[in-house]
Amino acid sequence: MVIKRIHMEVLVACLLALGGVAVAGGSLELGVGWTDSGPDAGYFPFYVGLLLAIAGFANAIWTVILHRGETEIFIDSEQARRLLSFLLPMTAFVIVTLLLGLYVGAALYLFYVAWRQGKYNPFWAAGLGIGFAISLFVVFDTLFKVPLLKGPLEAFLKIY
Amino acid sequence: MENFGLLMEGFQVVLTPTHLAIMVIGVMLGLVVGVLPGLGAPNGVSLLIPLTFTMDPVSAIILLASMYWGALFGGSTTSILFNIPGEPSSVATTFDGYPMAQKGQSTRALTLAFMSAGIGALVGVVVITLLSTWAAGFALRFGAPEYFSVYFLAFCAFIGMGSSAPLKTIISLLVGLALSTVGMDTITGTLRLTYGLNELMGGVSFLVVVIGLFGIGEILMTVQDGLHFRGVASRIDLRDVFRTIAELPRYWATLLRSSAIGVWMGITPGGPTAASFMSYGVARQWSRPGEPFGKGRPEGIVAPETADHSAGTCAMLPMLALGVPSSATAAVMMGGLMIWGLTPGPMLFATKPDFVWGLIASMYISNIVAVVLVMATVPLFAALLRIPFAVIGPVIVAICFVGAYTVSNATFDLWLVLLFGVIGYVFSKLSYPLAPLVLAMVLGHKAENSFHQSMILSDGSLDVFWSNPLVGSIMTLALLLVIVPQVVKLIARLRNRGTLRSAH
Repeated sequence: MVIKRIHMEVLVACLLALGGVAVAGGSLELGVGWTDSGPDAGYFPFYVGLLLAIAGFANAIWTVILHRGETEIFIDSEQARRLLSFLLPMTAFVIVTLLLGLYVGAALYLFYVAWRQGKYNPFWAAGLGIGFAISLFVVFDTLFKVPLLKGPLEAFLKIY
Repeated sequence: MENFGLLMEGFQVVLTPTHLAIMVIGVMLGLVVGVLPGLGAPNGVSLLIPLTFTMDPVSAIILLASMYWGALFGGSTTSILFNIPGEPSSVATTFDGYPMAQKGQSTRALTLAFMSAGIGALVGVVVITLLSTWAAGFALRFGAPEYFSVYFLAFCAFIGMGSSAPLKTIISLLVGLALSTVGMDTITGTLRLTYGLNELMGGVSFLVVVIGLFGIGEILMTVQDGLHFRGVASRIDLRDVFRTIAELPRYWATLLRSSAIGVWMGITPGGPTAASFMSYGVARQWSRPGEPFGKGRPEGIVAPETADHSAGTCAMLPMLALGVPSSATAAVMMGGLMIWGLTPGPMLFATKPDFVWGLIASMYISNIVAVVLVMATVPLFAALLRIPFAVIGPVIVAICFVGAYTVSNATFDLWLVLLFGVIGYVFSKLSYPLAPLVLAMVLGHKAENSFHQSMILSDGSLDVFWSNPLVGSIMTLALLLVIVPQVVKLIARLRNRGTLRSAH
């Protein structure tokens, strides 16, 4: 599967324009006019959103007019595969982090990628993950006194 | 000579063991983020800001600034040894740096890069030293309309002078402005554009956005092409170093010209990346005939490096004196200043002279520290790049998410990083510029406030922006910056069409 750049250009420009519409629409609810104390809360974002919508659609139309028929590739299947094999574990890392805390999430993430994608010995990979989590703890919780997100494991070990 | 005295006081602030240690740490961290692809100066500084909340502002800014210099230097190392620009601003260094290193002259290439970078940075700091009091004094005359006009000028300069398509720069700016309005409005106290999400009440932090756009986005760019580190030998030969330093005066013309380009692009919001490309182009046109460029010509290394660093340092001048950063990293630093409770702008010079001059003095020292450290650690950082990506990639990702979490201890920010990572990737691939988005996010509130106040002054009439010569000329200059390049392009296109037709 190959995505052409021109399709992506038009899609992104339209999405941005829709974002502009959403911003302008959201601002309309706040009032975009003039009050006794100056412009209303929605005044500034309304015009920003409006301009964004115009610029986005203009860019989409401009791209279609100027670059129609161009065959430059945005992403090919090989690149998409590489990208996904990186993005999916990263998304899993975020979900696991929300459930189990940043330390466990980071350790599992490093372990998984080093083991499955780096083809390392699982023990070595586990050591890497745990070592990284411990150094995070030392730097953030201990040295800089910036507590990171903790989960059930830390609660069990009574680390706060 | 008043500035000189102030600078000496700045040196007194900076020349303490603690601050020197902070500089060394900052430069080393900067080198790490500069060397690793996926970690760059803007998001390196973003990652560090939450750790500076408890530090005193002078130490904090020295740490962040040293990191910036380190990152600028580190980016050149990988450009030359691996043909991988560690920073966008060191792309131009790969053109001649890597070929020279391939010929077995890696020490010469690295020394040329670091020495000219150091010279560029020093020129930049000298300019800041000479101009800052004057610029701050000038800015003291500013009222709300003038401030808005300066922000407007910064936005317009990006549109007119940036290398991306103007329409895409405008979109990028508008997205940044829109993001800056999310959350509690400081003027009216109403919640804006939260669409019922409680997590958005506090607004979208620009630090989180920078970490996503620059950190995750850049690493996704690296991943999609697979990683091929084909490094050249990275041993440093001391004799070669001194031989190259002796060779340097020969390039005085390139050094001067490139510093001037860098200073100009640094003060006006062109940024280091544009400066290095422009300087490389100018050097190619103006240099005496000799070896062709692109095959390891020394001027091809000296020119972009000098301009890159003088622009990087000069970007601090408008940030400090006017509160208008001219590069993405300076924008992030300015956001940091505001988080520490300092207001960048002319009043900073009056109320916090030790902070301002401490920073300026530290720029002299930490750039020298950086030149020495970067030379000494080349083999170390070259080894860093030989760590397999399956290890270093996830480490970078985890650090980005940890950094985003520490901004405000909000788990929602983790999703935002992921979202902006994908946006950053798509934007880079479609060549939407990212720096204007960051600049607009940082300046959004200030631009809106000054616009608001101007509108109150004038009762809603835009005439206020042409009400006196100062604000009028800034506004006119801003509009010219947008219009003139487009007209020039149009004329060039029409001419080309003419010649094509006559050729038929």
